Amino acid sequence: MAPLSDATTDETQDDAPAALPGDGVREGIIDNLRSHIGDQIVDTKITPNDDLWIRVTTDGWLAAGQALKEAGFTYFCFLSAIDWMPSPYGTGENDPDAEQKEPDTAIVPGYTGGDTRLQVFARVTDLNRHVGVTLKADVPDDRAVMESWSHLFAGANWHERECHEMFGIGFDNHPDLRNMYLPGDFEGYPLRKDFPLLARMVKPWPGIVDVEPMPAQDEEEAPPAEETS
Amino acid sequence: MGLVDKGRLPAPLTKLFNISRSYSLWVYQWGLACCAIEMGAAFGSPRYDVMRLGVIPLPASPRQADFVCVSGTVTDKMAPAVKRLWEQMPEPKYAISMGSCANCGGPYWDSYSVTKGVDQIIPIDVYVPGCPPRPEALLEGVVLLQQRIKNEDMAAKWRGDEFTTLQRSRAVAAGEVDRDGELISETHSISEDPTPDEARTVPVYPPEPIVVGGGPIE
Amino acid sequence: MTLTDRQQLSYIASQAADARLNVELETEGMTLNIGPQHPATHGTLRIICRLDGEQVVWAEPVAGYMHRGYEKLTEVRTFPQVTTLVNRIDWLGSFANEVPFILAAEKLMEIEAPPRAQVIRTILFELSRIANVSLFLGDLGVQMGAITPVFLAFRDREYILNLIEGATGGRFHPNFDRIGGLKDDLPKGWIAETRGAVKKLEEFCDTIDDLLFGNEIFQSRMRGIGIIPADIAKDYGLSGPNARASGIDWDLRRDQDLPLSYDLADWKVWTHPDGDSWARCWIRLQETRESCKIVNQLLDQIPAGPVMTKVPRIIKVPEGEAWVATENPLGEMGYYVVSKGGLGPFRVKIRSASFNNISIVPWALKGVYVPDVITILASLYFILGDIDR
Repeated sequence: MAPLSDATTDETQDDAPAALPGDGVREGIIDNLRSHIGDQIVDTKITPNDDLWIRVTTDGWLAAGQALKEAGFTYFCFLSAIDWMPSPYGTGENDPDAEQKEPDTAIVPGYTGGDTRLQVFARVTDLNRHVGVTLKADVPDDRAVMESWSHLFAGANWHERECHEMFGIGFDNHPDLRNMYLPGDFEGYPLRKDFPLLARMVKPWPGIVDVEPMPAQDEEEAPPAEETS
Repeated sequence: MGLVDKGRLPAPLTKLFNISRSYSLWVYQWGLACCAIEMGAAFGSPRYDVMRLGVIPLPASPRQADFVCVSGTVTDKMAPAVKRLWEQMPEPKYAISMGSCANCGGPYWDSYSVTKGVDQIIPIDVYVPGCPPRPEALLEGVVLLQQRIKNEDMAAKWRGDEFTTLQRSRAVAAGEVDRDGELISETHSISEDPTPDEARTVPVYPPEPIVVGGGPIE
Repeated sequence: MTLTDRQQLSYIASQAADARLNVELETEGMTLNIGPQHPATHGTLRIICRLDGEQVVWAEPVAGYMHRGYEKLTEVRTFPQVTTLVNRIDWLGSFANEVPFILAAEKLMEIEAPPRAQVIRTILFELSRIANVSLFLGDLGVQMGAITPVFLAFRDREYILNLIEGATGGRFHPNFDRIGGLKDDLPKGWIAETRGAVKKLEEFCDTIDDLLFGNEIFQSRMRGIGIIPADIAKDYGLSGPNARASGIDWDLRRDQDLPLSYDLADWKVWTHPDGDSWARCWIRLQETRESCKIVNQLLDQIPAGPVMTKVPRIIKVPEGEAWVATENPLGEMGYYVVSKGGLGPFRVKIRSASFNNISIVPWALKGVYVPDVITILASLYFILGDIDR
């Protein structure tokens, strides 16, 4: 079976293009999903015998969830979002007195790609086959609204509330979209990268100052060994 | 008792009252997070028994408590509840802040939802640093609080004065220091380093909150 | 004795008055606020219940009183710093929180801890499970009004905390796991002491079994209350003992292939078909006993060797995304780590078990009597740090 898209499969080598790395369960899942929502799958990634990522279009988010639930993925693990923009405030790891490099502002998404700054992702598990799928979808930049999964998986209700208050993503047909954690008068969406941590701006972390410089030759250090008892 | 707040209680009686107050404290356990477990171990487990110090950890409500032990992270959402709790307690009341989160925000010092220290909301008498502090550290905090109560000026406390240690209020009464803590006498200036003998008579402004372990407040 | 006419008349009049009162009296629903500080909640959870008499018509948990912003904080910390922070999510069984995060980072770096480290990790993981659940068993009594078990729990838990402190330096919040292995090796005499402590914990389990689970009041308050069917449980994402009590045979220690040493020991997964509060508590008791068995078996099988693979001094985890979930004392806890090759993660999504476990509370508390509210919450067992992160 040829690879399904330009997703790359990891580590293990294929000897012949037709041989599958791993046990084929995850390829079967993708095929099954494709038969339900065919053109809405944008990209997939499989790490053999390990994990599976599928990215779908924004419109196919709910349909993909439904198809997976009917295929046996009845256990709802979680739902959240990722903001792929690098933080304009830096990561606070570097010495603030040292010279600052130009921060990188390119939005580079991760596995299975992406075209927008925000992406929602969810994970569902099939308890009989012991397989899980991470589903991803782009959130449109101009109108950050997705369809709600709360009528599909009841547990998604709280997860979508949290996602809404942390990222500012709306969910259509959600019964009760209000703040989960933050007080009602909180302004801003904390988990977006452009939300600053004010305490760090007032008093920056001095960076990693307590580690000795690397020894000249050997990068690695073998730790002291056994103490059998 | 009108004698107490007019300051006319004789010194031996004040001392007796202070001792008996300090050995019959009822503590309200305001356990919020991980430190609550160590507080539970200190107050409720047979190993680090706090009742041997005279402290009863069982009041069901803040209205029956002498002091409150705030242990764990105070978030901005929880802060009004802490303030309301403090207002519900009757005077004379004390507070122990247990753990780094309650002292200063702790490991979450840069979080957007954590109050950086419960002393932003209520006045604290003893800080117990640690993450979490061992139960013995909390017991030392309680002992230090008891010492503070023993050295307290009941009249000042009853009136609600800021400076309640005996040393302080005696200095105020003797006219050496005014209410704001400024030295009145011309011969003592703040820039001179006091000798060890002088240091005992020159009070420290404000009464330093006690930190278990003696270090800076973490 | 016959009543006089006068007495009879006044009796009839009073009955009529009562009848009129019953018709005219309207009871309004009352809103009861349980929490955020209440001895029965494991921390600052507030539950707003609307009552009709003694029955709950509608209940809603309000979380967020312990929200510390973990996911934002992890973006500005390095990997070892995140390990320290992450200890404090489930603050009773702290070592268990570090393990999935470290495993996710190791997966991204494509390294594995040496066998000795894996076995010791598993032992510490199970010890933290025993510490966590033994406090649950003690607390169960307090929820019902029985105060003795919690003193026993604190006393016997001290043995486990001593052990964890002996190995790692911290009673809880050990901060002992490192990418590539463990921080240090075990001290001398630790293995013998662990055997002794585990034996005491087994006796504690037997005591609780007698005191609590055999008690008629406990059984009548717990059996048949708060039944959660299996498909509802899966919909909400209930995990751990809560799911297994509804008959779902799902245990991440057995059903996954992680570099932990559960296959070296011979143990079983407990399930119960009923799905009520009793089942959830009973399964936790059995799991504690099972964990004691696992620890005993693993203590015999610690291989010699280093406890840390060769990793660079300053660790930069390569770019990628990884998901690792383990069977924590509270349920399934997982970390979705996104790394961009820096010193710290780019985004960490913490999937904590209690968040899903408590999302079922509005459903589970409908039509339930007020005393049962406490027992259902007690049996679902959550830790606030886990809900609120």
